Amino acid sequence: MPRAPFPELSSSVRLKYVKLGYQYLVNNFVAFLLIPVMIAVSLVLVRRGPDEIMALWHSLQLDLTQVLFSVFLLVFVAAVYFVSRPRPVYLVDYACFKPPTTCRVPFATFMEHAWLINWDEKSVQFQTRILERSGLGEETCLPPASHYIPPNPTMEASRAEAQLVIFSAIDDLLKKTGLWPKNIDILVVNCSLFSPTPSLSSMIINKYELRSNIRSFNLSGMGCSAGLISIDLARDLLQVHPRSNALVISTEIITPNSYTGNQRSMLLPNCLFRMGAAAILLSNRRRDARRAKYRLLHVVRTHKGADDRAYRCVYQEEDAEGHTGISLSKNLMAIAGEALKSNITTIGPLVLPMSEQLLFFLTLVGRKLINHKWKPYVPDFKLAFEHFCIHAGGRAVIDELQNNLQLTAEHVEASRMTLHRFGNTSSSSLWYELSYIESKGRMRRGHRVWQIGFGSGFKCNSAVWKCLRTVETLVDGPWADCINRCPVDIPDVVKP
Amino acid sequence: MHTVLSVDAMDLLWMIATVLFLYSSLSFLWKAFDCRRNQNCYLFDYVCYKPSDDRKLSTELCSDVIKRNKRLSMPDYKFLLKVVVNSGISEETYGPRSIIEGREESPTLDDCDDEVDDCMYSTLDELFHRTGISPGDVDVLVVNISMFAPAPSLTSRIVNRYKMREDVKTFNLSGMGSSASPIAIDLVNNVFETRKRTLAVVITSESIAPNWYCGTDKSMMLGNCLFRSGGCSFMLTNDPSLKHRAKMRLKCLVRAHSGANDDAYSCAMQNEDTDGRVGFHLSKSLPKVAVRAFTENLQALAPKVLPVGELALYVIRGLRHRLRRSKETKAYAGTAVRVNFKSGVEHFCLHTGGAAVIDAVGSALGLNKYDVEPARMTLHRWGNTSASSLWYVLGYMEAKKRLRRKDRVLMLSFGAGFKCNSCLWEVLRDLEDGGAWEDCIQAYPPQSLVNPFMDKFGWVNEA
Repeated sequence: MPRAPFPELSSSVRLKYVKLGYQYLVNNFVAFLLIPVMIAVSLVLVRRGPDEIMALWHSLQLDLTQVLFSVFLLVFVAAVYFVSRPRPVYLVDYACFKPPTTCRVPFATFMEHAWLINWDEKSVQFQTRILERSGLGEETCLPPASHYIPPNPTMEASRAEAQLVIFSAIDDLLKKTGLWPKNIDILVVNCSLFSPTPSLSSMIINKYELRSNIRSFNLSGMGCSAGLISIDLARDLLQVHPRSNALVISTEIITPNSYTGNQRSMLLPNCLFRMGAAAILLSNRRRDARRAKYRLLHVVRTHKGADDRAYRCVYQEEDAEGHTGISLSKNLMAIAGEALKSNITTIGPLVLPMSEQLLFFLTLVGRKLINHKWKPYVPDFKLAFEHFCIHAGGRAVIDELQNNLQLTAEHVEASRMTLHRFGNTSSSSLWYELSYIESKGRMRRGHRVWQIGFGSGFKCNSAVWKCLRTVETLVDGPWADCINRCPVDIPDVVKP
Repeated sequence: MHTVLSVDAMDLLWMIATVLFLYSSLSFLWKAFDCRRNQNCYLFDYVCYKPSDDRKLSTELCSDVIKRNKRLSMPDYKFLLKVVVNSGISEETYGPRSIIEGREESPTLDDCDDEVDDCMYSTLDELFHRTGISPGDVDVLVVNISMFAPAPSLTSRIVNRYKMREDVKTFNLSGMGSSASPIAIDLVNNVFETRKRTLAVVITSESIAPNWYCGTDKSMMLGNCLFRSGGCSFMLTNDPSLKHRAKMRLKCLVRAHSGANDDAYSCAMQNEDTDGRVGFHLSKSLPKVAVRAFTENLQALAPKVLPVGELALYVIRGLRHRLRRSKETKAYAGTAVRVNFKSGVEHFCLHTGGAAVIDAVGSALGLNKYDVEPARMTLHRWGNTSASSLWYVLGYMEAKKRLRRKDRVLMLSFGAGFKCNSCLWEVLRDLEDGGAWEDCIQAYPPQSLVNPFMDKFGWVNEA
């Protein structure tokens, strides 16, 4: 029997206003308390009259010593307070690598290559099915070495890809920010699956002739969430070194990692991983605060490696024939959901408004003490953030998170479009998504962004940024030529 | 208003005195506050890896392994054996199982995992046992193994094995070469400055199994001859309540990266040879590059380490040298002004890159045979264990009961990039643990460092 819409609508509208009123009351509680106090004080003052107030002032016998002492004490306390605060970390600007169109891998090319490299029909059909449902588009790119039949995964080709993606991103960033390479104080590079000696950080130091006392770190093997680990490390370094800046490079090098076997769980990365890189400039200098785009508010890291299932769900191993590849387990989504829940319990209290925290706390207490059957309250993160950048790991990951966090299609649009246009670029995907939001002209001053990354280990890492100035719609950048076409409708199954 | 603003001479003096008093007392308070803020980095304990005896690589075994490479000609074979025989490395060093068992050309991922697991788990088990710290208390975990970085990372492997907490901060450094120990310490030290009462565990080692070179390029075969299995796990903390149990305190750390220079960047590089086989290329310009990086590091290190008197003497000597040189160019050309580092440092942990490296660094720092003995003996007993070599050298000093309270220890290492990193420690109490040297320290220093198989393989040194 169809339910009458109007009573529901009116009751839901009433509920909405109740909820709004509750949020307003709780979040501005202190203000609400202060208003009656202020009114009372001003009433008293007005009643007394101006002459009485002057007499009161004169009766205070202030000695010069006392005045000096109190002034000094005030200055000292203020200085201690200001110096004890963590140094603010600003994101001055960032640049994403835009792959050349010659590296494009449309579905037809991918399937043809898969067939020619690996004559196993079942594997090719499996990969085709995955690709059709993956959410990837026809413009994703693979590095030149992967276009060979069979692919050419030499160290030289891997270094060439690294140079192409990383140097392009850095050149872009240097042009945008006007930064002189010799002024870079800290360098953090993360690339999970390619770690030559000397490291990629040394490669960058060599190319741009960076200073010899630079603090460089090269993180490897840390998965798709390593971009936020690098940001965390850069933030810690910027807390310790005043008046410094940090260059963070997040990338994944695809060349050495194409899997040439037939095991299904290991064929998935072939279908999803694509070429990409991002270069980010962080700073703690006062003068950069004026031109910085964002300020880093929080970084929260969660590592679920203690749980064997979580540890094994993204695992590099050899198949029966000795081919190395990364196997993705079937319970990846469930584990991602659990990792996210753990991360939320830490980040929730830091970002959620008091109203949500109170509701969550009361529901928790209620569940424990009154009735177990109460549904757990899922805090509304839309009240804490205006924009969400969810790692474009795959369509299922985005769907899962959209469901868990109760987000609208617009909130996950950046993630879906990045997956569609660039594929899964691993740790740099969060920056492509941020670039999308800026290109769409949606980023305004005061807006808060939540970047969520997942990766092998199993880790879930979050970063929260606050926008410091309204970002003009970008004229260049990776989305320049296609932003007007977006958002694109992505069917559930793409039939070529 | 009148009472506040009326000022005469006495009042003025009183005001100035008050201001000065307040300023000085507040500066003092500020300094005290600042000192408390700056965190100290203490070395709580360290455990060096001792592989099982069935992994010992004798010269004979090395010769067999070299002979298995059918692509090598007789001159190549002779060259390699010469390197092994003259390297200053004994019969007691260790190699990975896959190489000893004949699988050096095609190691499996399991071989690589096993090699690394054996090192990490055995040292960590002992570290946790000796310190009494539970793995759940670890806040920061750093692993640096240059030439092996699987997914999930080695840090995740450890988190999984020891069931560490969800909020543990892990960092997996890779590709950073033989000088990565000070880099890991730098990372932890920086994290310590932002958090109180933090405990960090660092594992440093190298992976040899997947990196055995099977080609014929001479510059890439040296690595095969010199690198040996080894590793170390150490625990750092900034918790002042653990200070009485800690061994050393970090005083300063200097990093110098000369990668901006092309020669420096490419002198130690992992690459493919002309046949497409991956190996670690060590170029002929390595010594020159090392000297340059070393000089840069010392220039930054000297002011932090040397007492003011020595620095003043250095300046005076430098001026005199320059004056003399301008008068009599021939007599003084080529001589450099030496700084006496022994005035600021009692013990020197030099990276055991090779006998020539140790000798060169020793002579540059003005060290005698006693000072370089720990490094030479480490090279002899353990070979070049890459980033963890510094810890074996420290272990030798401790086993020989050389480390006394208030002594200062300088760790100096070189690595691909090209980097020269150093750090200075202050010993907090008299140290006496035998560690990995326990069973053999009595035999050191041996009468002779000459390879005992000289009579069998001595022919390689002729012609």
